[in-house]
Amino acid sequence: MAEVRFNKVRKQYGSSVIVDDVDIEFPSGSLTVLVGPSGCGKSTSLRMLAGLEEVTSGEITIDGRVVNALEPKDRDVAMVFQNYALYPHLSVLENIAFPLRATKTPRADALHRAQGVADSLGLGALTGRKPKDLSGGQQQRVAIGRAIIRQPSVFLFDEPLSNLDAKLRVETRFELMQIQRRLGITAVYVTHDQEEAMTMSDRMVVMENGRVAQTGPPAEIYARPNSVFVATFVGSPKMNVLGGSVLDQVFHSKGGAIISTAGIASREAVTFGVRPDDLQVSPAASGGGTVVLVELLGPRAILHIDAGSDRLTSVVDADRLGELGQGATVDLRVRVHAEHLFDPTSGFRLDA
Amino acid sequence: MTKGVNALAAARILLLSAAAVVVAFPLLWVAIASLKSPAQLNDPGLILFLPNLENWARVLEAGILNAAGRSAFVATVTVAFSVVAGSMGAYAISAYKAGGSATRFGILAAQVLPPAVLVFPFLTMAYALNINNTYVPIIFAHLSFVLPVITWFLIGFFDAVPRSLEEQARVDGFSRFAAFRLVVLPQVLPGIGAAAIFGFTLSWNDMFYGLILAPPRETILPVAISAFNTFRGVELGAMSAAIIIAVVPVVIASFFIQRRLVQGISGGAVKF
Repeated sequence: MAEVRFNKVRKQYGSSVIVDDVDIEFPSGSLTVLVGPSGCGKSTSLRMLAGLEEVTSGEITIDGRVVNALEPKDRDVAMVFQNYALYPHLSVLENIAFPLRATKTPRADALHRAQGVADSLGLGALTGRKPKDLSGGQQQRVAIGRAIIRQPSVFLFDEPLSNLDAKLRVETRFELMQIQRRLGITAVYVTHDQEEAMTMSDRMVVMENGRVAQTGPPAEIYARPNSVFVATFVGSPKMNVLGGSVLDQVFHSKGGAIISTAGIASREAVTFGVRPDDLQVSPAASGGGTVVLVELLGPRAILHIDAGSDRLTSVVDADRLGELGQGATVDLRVRVHAEHLFDPTSGFRLDA
Repeated sequence: MTKGVNALAAARILLLSAAAVVVAFPLLWVAIASLKSPAQLNDPGLILFLPNLENWARVLEAGILNAAGRSAFVATVTVAFSVVAGSMGAYAISAYKAGGSATRFGILAAQVLPPAVLVFPFLTMAYALNINNTYVPIIFAHLSFVLPVITWFLIGFFDAVPRSLEEQARVDGFSRFAAFRLVVLPQVLPGIGAAAIFGFTLSWNDMFYGLILAPPRETILPVAISAFNTFRGVELGAMSAAIIIAVVPVVIASFFIQRRLVQGISGGAVKF
């Protein structure tokens, strides 16, 4: 249980700035996810927290203690890597017990505790095997077992689920959350997958180009993204974002799309955002948009709509596809108060 | 189509057979020669004869096994130092690009130096330090070419160990050296075994430094073999027996490590 803080942390190689004077708070006991596209600085930040990279300037504190100068072994953190980094020459049991060797725990005790951890993760029968004889999911659980056996102050996860197939990813995601909650250990989790970030985090930190774009609970980031970048990064399918103007409650995009709204003030230039779930379509004989593609998801469907020279997506119930199939002409409307307005030059949210 | 493929396969077999003959024939000839009496040696074409062990008796009586033992001692000490220092050096070059990117091959520059350049400075230093009657000078001389080669040989093996493995060990609570010793080294042990045998062979075969720097009257094996070239003539039979003693252990050892040998020499490019 430890609070972690980044105070103006910077990582720079020569003139190339990877992490740009970043301030982040990781509350004690929470699961905070660092999320962002490749190259945004999230992995570098995690590695600085682990002690595997030097901090160029700024301070990283764990429980109030500045750890910049401490070797990884003295920081009381445990880390799970993307490729699990299991020791090939040791068995599953020895892998899990390995960290206890550093604390000079007697071998018998260490192996006994490791067996307990292995059992709790469903690996009890596999303890004699070598890592190469395990499936990806099993290897991942060994890596997790090795991390939890020390009861560290902080858990660090570097894209641990990226090497698993989609179904396994969803299952393991849930297991990880349960373990973190049960143990109550502060966890910092890095991923590029916004869905993982949304479902797992107590707090999300969205990063772009070495800076924090937005911090907060996932629901807040989804409902009130403070920039076009955050708005299009979080949420799937991606938010529809168009430049244009608002006149008489109707948004006209530069490409010719027309979206009806309710209660927006007229504006000359604005960047208009609407999530596919909030873009309402209704069939109309001479509608502004045409459905060009339908992707069936089961109970729902994604409609790809051409409006003017713009391409928009909308998510609708599958039972409406009778009247909204391919080739249908439609009118577009935003659900009440569900639009997002951004400044056309800065990209930041306009609080209307 | 198949005719073309067969011709290619036949050509390949022919080429490999020719190479095998070129390599194996001299050894075979020497082995046969070691079993011939002096009279029979005058007839090189003689293959079917009653084997004669008098050459072997002569060679053992002349103390060839002692010479072999001294060579083995020097080689073992040389290799022991080289493997310990070389593995740490290879790790530094592989993991931390120590010495810059040129070091990977630059370290072999030591091989470019002809032994003739170093041998007299070594001898002079040995006399100055009054250690010319010990094995120290010859061991140092052997280190001068075995250590760089073993270091270079091991770099490829260390390259194959993922960096995340040692990072994991460091986060798990171990110092950098403990991580190297407990996690990285076990992954390269096959390479170290091969490097040890390879280095042993280099030291075992050395004639030049051995001739000049070995303690007086304590000859090493290659020098002992050359001693059969007396002023009365070459004692071919005895020399052949001595050559077999020198060559056979190395051939057998190399057979066992041939995969790792290829891996090491190719800089880790060839993976099995």
